[in-house]
Amino acid sequence: MSASAAIEIAQLRKVFRQTTSGQSVVAINQLTLRIAPGELVAIVGQTGCGKSTLFDLLIGLEHPTGGSIIIGGKTPYDDFNHFRGRIATIFQQDRLFPWRSSLDNVKLPLELIGIPENVQHERAMSWLKRLGLEKFADAYPRELSGGMRQRVAIARAFAVQPEILLADESFSALDEVTAGELRKTFVELAREFHSTAILITHQLEEAMSVGDRIVVFGKSAALLADVRVSDWDRADYPLLREAIQNTLQANAPDARLTRM
Amino acid sequence: MPPDETRPATPFEEPRRSLLISSLPREATVSIALFAAVWQIMSYLAPTLGIPAFAIPGLGRIAKSLATITPLDVAVTLGRVLLSLVVSFAIGVAVAIVMYLSESVEKYLRPMVRILMAVPVVSWILFAVLWFKGVEFRIVFVLVVVCAPVFTVDALDNMREVSKELKQMIRSFRPTSLQFFHKLMLPAITPGLITSWKITLSLAIRVVTIAELVGAVTGIGHQLSVAQELFSVADVFAWTLVLVVLLFFLEALLVRLETRVLRWRA
Repeated sequence: MSASAAIEIAQLRKVFRQTTSGQSVVAINQLTLRIAPGELVAIVGQTGCGKSTLFDLLIGLEHPTGGSIIIGGKTPYDDFNHFRGRIATIFQQDRLFPWRSSLDNVKLPLELIGIPENVQHERAMSWLKRLGLEKFADAYPRELSGGMRQRVAIARAFAVQPEILLADESFSALDEVTAGELRKTFVELAREFHSTAILITHQLEEAMSVGDRIVVFGKSAALLADVRVSDWDRADYPLLREAIQNTLQANAPDARLTRM
Repeated sequence: MPPDETRPATPFEEPRRSLLISSLPREATVSIALFAAVWQIMSYLAPTLGIPAFAIPGLGRIAKSLATITPLDVAVTLGRVLLSLVVSFAIGVAVAIVMYLSESVEKYLRPMVRILMAVPVVSWILFAVLWFKGVEFRIVFVLVVVCAPVFTVDALDNMREVSKELKQMIRSFRPTSLQFFHKLMLPAITPGLITSWKITLSLAIRVVTIAELVGAVTGIGHQLSVAQELFSVADVFAWTLVLVVLLFFLEALLVRLETRVLRWRA
């Protein structure tokens, strides 16, 4: 593995066998991708392109059929426990425990990694404060709005100060104003803690507002484009947006994206 | 200004009432009163209808029988029920966890659990009488063998229904197996387990009565047996009433516990 890469995906392949028909479905086919430490990568693609399968493979809940995912020299599936407290996730739905208060939900990952109780409380409260939810520390998820619940989920993810942060369509279920605010918070926190972050999304606007880099997936996670946003002049952003849009619609690379 | 005792302390605070009264709506009180009135009338009319007087004793006679209720027998029955339910719960949930963790174990155990549930209570009582000498052990055995499978099936079904999304979320944080059950599964299945307790409580009260009726020298079931031997319908009525009140009281306690434990659902 390259010393400079936080995440190295090589020739990754994931095949599922359908239980009813017995047919094989190739979700990811020979994906190779390197992500540097501290990079914010947005992976964009249409529904069913293998984004969420990649997410499960990165978390370590699925085993690759072929190829490898190496994070800091270890594989998330085989070295599952090594990544305790090192990887955190934010999902499309907040996935808060309904029986826990906001504070206790933020404390959850701290409890799992064995942080002392008094430190858990202090750290969880500081995260709730940071996200403007200190007054709602004792509130149950049902008492919070969708945006507030997602803030708690963000606090829960950052509470362990993860090296790797994975976000799967994390803001797409929210209204545009709330989503915009949370995207901004997400980017600020990821940069502050030097987390390597991957945001999986089907929304190009979201990808462009978050990512340092935009990776475009076609069918079976075929790499259609890998664009470093900072390499483009801000004036050329409309062109970039149009080129990625074309790529997504045509499911084939756009020549303008390879100009670099 | 003196506090107004007729008003609750806060707009949301209900005045305190006893556990049973608070769970009895007005309609229930009226229907019970109606039943008592009809019973009393039937008691007066029984001789003219050709029914022996002892078959429908008056409310006064039943009240006398109630006054002779021995608290020790009530306590013994209550103790047997609670002990057996705790043991049944521990065994039932432990078996459910093993079945949840291993598909092959589940395939072997599920038919056994189904068979246990299909065996009539009377058969279990006869088996217990034939197999075991100790009266207490017989009763606890019958209760456990009847109630534990109910806890197993309910706990297993509830574990299967825990949202995949929540499982994926907590697994992404890499809990140990113990943490997975303690932090996610147990709280997630608690509402289902409380429902299961309500069902098995009612079941256990009925089963313990039959078990005591057949083979015990203490407890409400035994007292029912004595009343039957004495042809005392008033005593049977009084002990039955005690059983019903006991069940309602325990159910009311469970509802209180449910309200407290599941306040996050309110």
